[in-house]
Amino acid sequence: MNKVYLFKYGLSVLFLLCTLTTFAQKARFSGTVVDERNLPLPGATVTVKETGATTVTDKDGAFSIANSNLQTLTITVNFVGFDALEKTISADQPAKFALNPSARSLNEVVVVGYGTVRKKDLTGSVSTVGAKDLNPGAVTNPLQQLDGKAAGVNITQVGSEPGVAPTIRIRGITSLQGGNDPLVVVDGIQGNMDLLNQVPPSEIASIDVLKDASATAIYGSRGAPGVIIVTTKKGTAGKTSVEYAENTSLDVIANKLKLLTAEQWTAQAQAQGVDASANHGSNTDWFNLLTRNGVTQNHTLSFGGGANEFNYRASLTAINQTGIVINSKYKKYIGRIVATQKALDDKLTLTMNVNSGINQFDYSPTGVGNAAFTSNLISQTYISRPTDPVLNANGTFYSDPNVFQYTNPYAVATTVQNTNNVNNLFGSLRADLEIYKGLSAGWFGSWRKADSNNGYYAPAASTITSAINYNGQAHINNDHVDEKLMDINLTYKKDFGANHFDATAVYEWQAQTYNGSYSAARGFANDIATYNALQLGTLANALSGDVASYKNDRRLVSFLGRVNYSYKNRYLLTASFRRDGSTVFGENHKWGNFPSASLAWRVDQEGFLKNQRTLSSLKLRVGYGVTGNQQGITPQNSIALVGLNSQTPTVYFGGQLIPNYFYTQNANPNLRWETKKQANAGLDFGFFGDRLTGSVDAYTATTDNLLFRYTVPVTGSFFVNNILANIGSLRSRGLELALAYTVIRTENTTLTLAGNGALQQSKVMSLGGNIQGLDVPTNYVGLGSNAYLIKGKPIGTFLILHHLGKDANNAETVVDQDGNGVIDQGDQSKDRVEAGQSLPKYTYAFTPTFTYKNFDASMVWRGAGGNKIYNGLRQTLSLQENLGKSNLLQSALPLGIASSGYGSDLWLEDGSYLRFQNLSFGYRINVPKVKYISSLRVSLTGQNLAVITKYSGIDPEVNAGGLASGDYGTYPRTRTFSIGLNVVLK
Amino acid sequence: MMKKLLTSILIVGLAAQSCTKVNENVYDKYAGDAFYGTAAGADNALATVYGKITGTWGSNYAGRDNCWYDLNSFASDEQVIPHRNTGDWQLDFAQLYTRTELPTLGIINNTWNWIYSSIYSANLAITQLTAANADPSKIAEAKVMRAWLYYLAIDDFGDVPFYTDNNIDVSKIPQEKRAKIYDFIVSELKANVDLLSEARGGAYYGRFNKWAGYMVLAKVYLNAEVYTGTAHWADALAAATKVAAGGYSLHAGAANAGSPLGYQYYELFGDVCPNDETILAEFITQNVVSGNIYGIRSLNSPNGVALIGFAGWNGTVIPSEFYDKYDDRDIRKKQFLVGPQAGGVTYTRDVSSLISPGAAPNEGIRNVKFFPVKPDASGASNDFPIYRYADVLLIQAECNVRLGNVAAAAPYLNQVRQRAGLGDIAAPTLDNIYDERGFELNMEGHRRQDMIRFGKYLLPHGFVPAAPATRLIFAIPTAALNANSNLKQNPGY
Repeated sequence: MNKVYLFKYGLSVLFLLCTLTTFAQKARFSGTVVDERNLPLPGATVTVKETGATTVTDKDGAFSIANSNLQTLTITVNFVGFDALEKTISADQPAKFALNPSARSLNEVVVVGYGTVRKKDLTGSVSTVGAKDLNPGAVTNPLQQLDGKAAGVNITQVGSEPGVAPTIRIRGITSLQGGNDPLVVVDGIQGNMDLLNQVPPSEIASIDVLKDASATAIYGSRGAPGVIIVTTKKGTAGKTSVEYAENTSLDVIANKLKLLTAEQWTAQAQAQGVDASANHGSNTDWFNLLTRNGVTQNHTLSFGGGANEFNYRASLTAINQTGIVINSKYKKYIGRIVATQKALDDKLTLTMNVNSGINQFDYSPTGVGNAAFTSNLISQTYISRPTDPVLNANGTFYSDPNVFQYTNPYAVATTVQNTNNVNNLFGSLRADLEIYKGLSAGWFGSWRKADSNNGYYAPAASTITSAINYNGQAHINNDHVDEKLMDINLTYKKDFGANHFDATAVYEWQAQTYNGSYSAARGFANDIATYNALQLGTLANALSGDVASYKNDRRLVSFLGRVNYSYKNRYLLTASFRRDGSTVFGENHKWGNFPSASLAWRVDQEGFLKNQRTLSSLKLRVGYGVTGNQQGITPQNSIALVGLNSQTPTVYFGGQLIPNYFYTQNANPNLRWETKKQANAGLDFGFFGDRLTGSVDAYTATTDNLLFRYTVPVTGSFFVNNILANIGSLRSRGLELALAYTVIRTENTTLTLAGNGALQQSKVMSLGGNIQGLDVPTNYVGLGSNAYLIKGKPIGTFLILHHLGKDANNAETVVDQDGNGVIDQGDQSKDRVEAGQSLPKYTYAFTPTFTYKNFDASMVWRGAGGNKIYNGLRQTLSLQENLGKSNLLQSALPLGIASSGYGSDLWLEDGSYLRFQNLSFGYRINVPKVKYISSLRVSLTGQNLAVITKYSGIDPEVNAGGLASGDYGTYPRTRTFSIGLNVVLK
Repeated sequence: MMKKLLTSILIVGLAAQSCTKVNENVYDKYAGDAFYGTAAGADNALATVYGKITGTWGSNYAGRDNCWYDLNSFASDEQVIPHRNTGDWQLDFAQLYTRTELPTLGIINNTWNWIYSSIYSANLAITQLTAANADPSKIAEAKVMRAWLYYLAIDDFGDVPFYTDNNIDVSKIPQEKRAKIYDFIVSELKANVDLLSEARGGAYYGRFNKWAGYMVLAKVYLNAEVYTGTAHWADALAAATKVAAGGYSLHAGAANAGSPLGYQYYELFGDVCPNDETILAEFITQNVVSGNIYGIRSLNSPNGVALIGFAGWNGTVIPSEFYDKYDDRDIRKKQFLVGPQAGGVTYTRDVSSLISPGAAPNEGIRNVKFFPVKPDASGASNDFPIYRYADVLLIQAECNVRLGNVAAAAPYLNQVRQRAGLGDIAAPTLDNIYDERGFELNMEGHRRQDMIRFGKYLLPHGFVPAAPATRLIFAIPTAALNANSNLKQNPGY
């Protein structure tokens, strides 16, 4: 380690000597800017501190500034993704600026919402991941790139169905009513998770995750679940760049269940005395028949350039994925242009962003099967008997009339059409005007349109019962989303003495409109037109609800402000305030206030730490904020409405059929946002010249006015038996740690061991209460899979019957806990015992990286644990009485349970796992002699290479961000191997 | 510079001023008050109560499953759904049948919720119709329906919450004594029945007319002893006689090739209930208004395909003790399927196990009294006879026997027997009447009440052991107790 220091300081001394011994009359200052691997960085911005003049580096990373009266200049070099570097250079002494990638640095800029701060000035809890640290490989959604990279940010992918995005939970679950998705902000445009689908993964410059309330309170009533801010790559002035990036992967099935083979099934059927008529004598591997190797391709062509006053970047991305289940695929195309123009002596900056995307999905059908086992298509292959043929002798799909609602999965896979087309278009314009010293005003407007068109057709040949009954059924959905946002902001910056002050004030207006229609038809003469000509259906087969349409909207009006104050760069204060008014809130609570404050102390700037080398940086942060969550409230949730009774839309009255109107919703004038109050304390530190860096955050958050859909008796002012109301409260607490240690840092070699971990627990503090004068003592709310919401217990606590054994008939028996001779399966039954929770208690990741010259390698290992999974699929596939009509797991034979009237803890399993998520190698080929190519990079990536778990299902990630975790069959998870190529043209 | 600044602030201010409204827009629904404030809205409020009767899965009087009909039928001796040793069918039905059900049973909770949401709808209709100055017959209709719903409530649950004005806090709704609610039902019916329309069929098909109103009154009096300890046989007889004055007659029973199961009798349970005998029908058209699943639920898959072109559910079976009581000459025995059937299926007479290991797929006698018309996944189109004239005759017979007028009772009973192809009974006993009610009115939701009134409900039969007296009323569902701390559970649960 000493050697490294010597080297580093020696170099500094050398520079210092150069500076001292240099003097010149006709000054010419020049230098080259290179990256950490000594490769030139074209397009870096070079600013002369003394004069304010700027220039950019050329294709060789070189710059020169002539004609200065000074002997030395202080030069600052900025480049996206790298730390700014400031250096004093002397005339006629070419200097080298070696920039370090910014991910491990405290100097990077963090986007905090309505502004940016330098990371060293940050007072809240924010995780920043730069482009270089995003996960490589076969990526179709930006969240996959973030997997394992930030403490307390948990990304879950249930299966690998093409086009199905992962879910993300920031600091766990703090809301019950479906509102745990963070707010997504892409270059200032705010939206839901689907906005991320519109961002090409390779065009991301950085992702900032705002975690604590002091950071998210600026987003007010939408800030509680956290905020993900995506900044896309922009053009850089001065240099034209053309880049092509490609990644192709082979996707294979990572794991499958062990089911009985045809021989085993036949033997077991004979042993159990199953009627011989159930054995159709074939040998079919249904799972293999319905699966294949998939391929995922990503192509991005990007180019950009410009002059000082103008720059642009354009890119076209194509993602093409074929799923491992036959007939499932996904295609995505995104084109985008970002252009920036300066005017009024560079005082006005206009940035326009246009993005258009096309998504085409062919989904594998879901909701297939009989009434007792409805699942996704692939899970139907598990219950299909291996002795059933695929086809009849006459070539039609086999179906067994003796099995109730028999479904032939291969028939479904090859005949059912389930397509979805989503067109996204958004544009934004930002105008920033510098009005007066330190004072500037801005205007930002964005408009997003998402139009989706879904078509579904199931012919009678699919063997789906309803399709047979109606001789084919088809429907189409058209849905339109229109989201507008406008804000006007003023910012002011001022330094006086050791004091720095800046303030931002914003007025913001957002409007979202949703409308769409649904039409269905049944009974087709043939299957040619599928869902493309619903008028060809049989009128006599028309049902209530075959035609439907809707429209609703919501608006959010906000006033917000933030003040940053720092003294001597040591003591930092950030305070923000937001006032939100929303149409979806009840009459009595239209407006809410969301304040926050946070303090940071940069201990390393203190004199008493100047004379030591061990501690290179240290910052203490504390913050408190009030944020809200209104995701759980949809338009028109607060007023009493009358519509068609959806269950019984038609009533016979007065000798005729008439529409059956009734109240569809109770009024709740008190409906409001959830209020999350969070306190956070954190410590950022660096040791040994920042070779060891890290941060620790501890937080506690209470969600009050918790939204929940309560069951109420239909009396008084309650027209219908449920009401969305703000009654209960949750508390979540957690601890996060992120560490990175650079073991080797030499000119040619770096090895960094990085990792993070988080402990998290969300508990129900209260649930029932008073709604409009009525006491609603809600507790023990079943979430399914034997998981519950119970006052004083963690969310998704399992309350379950304890398996005992089996009786003389091989029926499962369970423990009669209260000894009353009756097994009660009621929610509050004394026979149930507490058995763990649905949600992980801890998550962790290990992400080492290694580089040697032009070679780089990285890994992501990540895991979660402390949770249980109710394996409902194993239960279904284990009961031997089902053998006559379905297949069973091989593990069912030693178990020997014929039937069960219970969902016991026999099927409750440990959900902990460690996944080898990513292994990547890259090699940059320097091609200085090739005329048109400036660099070339080849990479190899493996994803989901191994999973270490005790869980017996195909994958322990079964819970897509919900409250309970039960496994009823998921789309298989893939293991992918990909080759990437990156070409930068001259 | 300052001018620019001021201008900017002005612009911001103006923009903010005009864009701070956050009132809600509604495009695709009606606001509650605006809708019900009109006469058409009030009419609709009345129609909605009928919509509750047909209802849907888990929320209906009869037709579909898991609600009032299932609760009152499977607790009796006339039908049961065994768990099958192929893993089919949950245990709820067998538990009800063997009286081992718990207060958490879904069917109990569904029935409770259905009754109370229907009472709420009736209260709302009464309020809206009164406010709209509607025709008194419509207000009376809503009030008679509410009385009927309370009658169903006390019949199943005993002492229950009672309220007639929706504008009341549930915690202030008392759990009223069964006898008190009985008094309310009687007085409400007496006050309103004569205001109802006398029209039969047409616009009044499927609606409470005067005769349906008296039928409810007859039923309430008939079971008065169960509800209050005091019998009202003469009142029941008088009310039944009022119904008869509506001009009803028994539908023909004769053999007829074009009729379901080959007898005109089964037209009573067909697509539309005939007006000659039906007093109150539940209108059902599969896929449009509810569905009648009772035939489909019983047949097994290949038999259903062969018989009605639709795969059955292989559910309901008829206990052989019940089936065995039928006389072979009885045309009503045609509704049962046993032995070899179309589709290569043979139904056995007996069921070997109800719960564990369960019955083999083809065990048990099946029932197609409601021979499925236009069956599909939503059920069949058969309307459901809530009340019909045969019931009236049997009430008249029963009351006369109970009042000691055995001779007067015989003609009423024998009318029903003659149509079924059976001989007369000159001096009927209560057991004769009890049995005849079983033969005639099985599968129509009356059996549990009859068993209780005739003192048979607690006796052991087949798989079912003797039950304690507390089983004469069902448990109040756990969910209702959890939601309202004022409610007391019925004894024995």
